[in-house]
Amino acid sequence: MASDGDPIIYAGAGFFGGLYLFYKGFTWLKLKKLIENMPTSKVRAIAMGLVEVYGEVVPYEKKLLKSPLLDKDCVYYSYSIQEERGSGKHRHWVTLKSGREMVHFYLKDNTGEVLVDPEGATVDMKADLNVTSSLGKDPPAAVMQALKRMKLSHDGFLGMNKTMRYTEYLVEPKDKLYILGVAGDNPFVEDTKGQKNEEDIMIQKGKHGDIYYLSDRNEKELLKSLKWKSIGGVIGGAVLSLFCLTLIIAYFGLW
Amino acid sequence: MIGIVMIILLVVILFVVGLAGYIFAIYNSLVRLKNDINKALGNIDVLLKQRYDELPKLINSVKGYMKHEKSLLTDITKARSIYSSAGNDIHKKAQADNMMTGALKTLFAVSENYPQLKANENFMQLQGRISGIENELADRREFYNDSVNTFNIRIQSIPDVIIARMLGYTAQEMFKAAGEEKKDVKVEF
Repeated sequence: MASDGDPIIYAGAGFFGGLYLFYKGFTWLKLKKLIENMPTSKVRAIAMGLVEVYGEVVPYEKKLLKSPLLDKDCVYYSYSIQEERGSGKHRHWVTLKSGREMVHFYLKDNTGEVLVDPEGATVDMKADLNVTSSLGKDPPAAVMQALKRMKLSHDGFLGMNKTMRYTEYLVEPKDKLYILGVAGDNPFVEDTKGQKNEEDIMIQKGKHGDIYYLSDRNEKELLKSLKWKSIGGVIGGAVLSLFCLTLIIAYFGLW
Repeated sequence: MIGIVMIILLVVILFVVGLAGYIFAIYNSLVRLKNDINKALGNIDVLLKQRYDELPKLINSVKGYMKHEKSLLTDITKARSIYSSAGNDIHKKAQADNMMTGALKTLFAVSENYPQLKANENFMQLQGRISGIENELADRREFYNDSVNTFNIRIQSIPDVIIARMLGYTAQEMFKAAGEEKKDVKVEF
């Protein structure tokens, strides 16, 4: 019987993980091809269906959220507070609190602005906050305030800092955003009542499982990152599963 | 021995799956690109139709004032009839569109000489609407040409060219600006 720390368990997990990574590499390749082939639409000339737009975030009817950790005005946030527990091989991160919230917003370019409903989107962002606190290292002041509001503490045994990790992703007004999503009917405007074409439209998640992708990177950066992800996924996944299979074979002496 | 066979088998499976996945990705993206071109052309058509629907109203509102600009109004009517008979011919559509854009530009410029017309609220509204459509049209033409350009590059690149040939895909025509529109504008004082 394989025990908890048995290398065969890790090799088995690595084998299937590698196969998953191999598959994931192709989904990244598919996304890369889609982004590459899709010309960016000007907001003024958006047509119904899958569109790619790039512009600046503007709040919709002044609706804004307050981010839990950095306490900043935003239209989207996701955050997590994690604590490191255990020791040695059993060291792991436990999520104490996490959340994600969003409101509608406009995306504005030099030709107009279009409403966006971010619900259901895959949000690919650089973290606005990614810090840890540990022995002798306090979290930033804003995070300390947030912990107080949430009735959490970074103090551990004898008042020493616990090892904790704080992450927050934000979309703030005036942020530049790349969106690949479906332009559909704007439910807040009666059909054809909009003065301009884009007023009748809202970018949203498609009803047929279409891709919905939001990123704070521009198209060039996005393609570069997807290129390396897909190459890494396909090649890395194949190498990992082969390596792990070799370990499994060696373990069972099947040479 | 079984181990070596298993490893070779996995290498072959990963290679075949990888190759098939890559070919499917190329095939699907080429089919999507081709359909996107048709969709982009359809989106231009929607706006062209909207613009042509506004024309009878525009001609009615100006003909009382611009009796001396008969040839201009004839050009607009002629462009409209070319568009109606164009069907799916992209070249003819582009020709009608360019002719209409030119005629409308001249009409709006000439309207400056008719103060009574400029004071007509109906005309001003129509002018605003048609100018709005013109701007959207310019963006959609650009979008269409971007789609065509991407498609034309892809079907000539390796390895996409192999699948494109199997599908019988050929280079698509751009929505071109007329020669007149590309000429420098002479400004006389």
